[in-house]
Amino acid sequence: MEIKGKVALVTGGGNGIGEAVVKYLVNKGAKVAIVDMSQKNIDRVVADVKAMGGEAIGVQGNVTSEADTAKFIKATVDAFGQLNIVVASAGIIKDSFLLTLDKETGKVSRKMGLDKWQPVLDVNLTGTFLTLRDSAEAMVNGGWDGILIPISSVNKAGQTGQLNYSSTKVADALLPKIIIGEFLVRGINKIRCVGIAPGYTATPMVAGMNQEALNAICADIHLGRLIEPNEIAAGIAHAIENEAINATTIEITGGLCYKGGIAK
Amino acid sequence: MKSFTYNDMEFTVEKVGAAWDIKCGKAIVATGLFAGVADADAEAKAVALAKTIFPVGAKVVGPDVAHPITVGDIKYFPPAVSLPNFVYWNADSSSQAKW
Repeated sequence: MEIKGKVALVTGGGNGIGEAVVKYLVNKGAKVAIVDMSQKNIDRVVADVKAMGGEAIGVQGNVTSEADTAKFIKATVDAFGQLNIVVASAGIIKDSFLLTLDKETGKVSRKMGLDKWQPVLDVNLTGTFLTLRDSAEAMVNGGWDGILIPISSVNKAGQTGQLNYSSTKVADALLPKIIIGEFLVRGINKIRCVGIAPGYTATPMVAGMNQEALNAICADIHLGRLIEPNEIAAGIAHAIENEAINATTIEITGGLCYKGGIAK
Repeated sequence: MKSFTYNDMEFTVEKVGAAWDIKCGKAIVATGLFAGVADADAEAKAVALAKTIFPVGAKVVGPDVAHPITVGDIKYFPPAVSLPNFVYWNADSSSQAKW
């Protein structure tokens, strides 16, 4: 699908990978709806798009809310007349181990609480589900060509301290296979679904880590550095443009390996 | 350029070149819209879009009735401060009585 002239909606579009995707797609000629929880970030990115000479709207919204999801999809269609590209990149982390032991007694001193578990499932999985579900509904009813792009993570392989996050990202990675299987059964043949699983990416959150931790991460990456958000955006653009890519999740990691050199 | 107050916010809808921008205060809400649409239609669409993006309503923080916790034989519905909800209604708050 050609990107120029198409309409994209990017959740989590106010910073990090989402912001990079917004600007990459604008440079390719797409009209973009930027959805984020932070009005301040939305205002900044929309102003950047205006400076680029692009077309954009910014909509504050919580992806876990059905009402907000309906609002930002309606606003997108009202502004641009259609919806073709959906990148569900809104996501959060709340890292915690399942159990923490008291060093002296060996007994459990703390366990992962629902306050760490539920919000991550709500945003990363339920939020992605609602965004894709209602976007697909709009595409089918509008008769528009489209592509749905859930954002997984290389940590779908399983990451200690991220039982919550990894659980959502392995589920997000599976969505394209099930969704496209159902589209085949239902005769919905104008909408594709491709997941993207980034590795360690130089978003403000990761780049702000201490240098020692960053060096340890980069030592396991064949490329020898963090992935740039623009490189994730370029991979997404390729998935949009190459119609043969469908019902799968693509990893963009720079060659992330386990200790000892086996690629994850 | 058209200015209007909606839900206690100041909006402007302005033609910039061939397209339209919407601002809320100094912030740009939308840019590059409705190129090629007749001015009156574009202005009306922009006003309607501003009202869609900023619906009237109230943000309600908890209780999160979808996630009750059972404590003994009591089902407890806690406020989930990390999951604020937004309750929509159809009346513009500027039409409500002020005190």
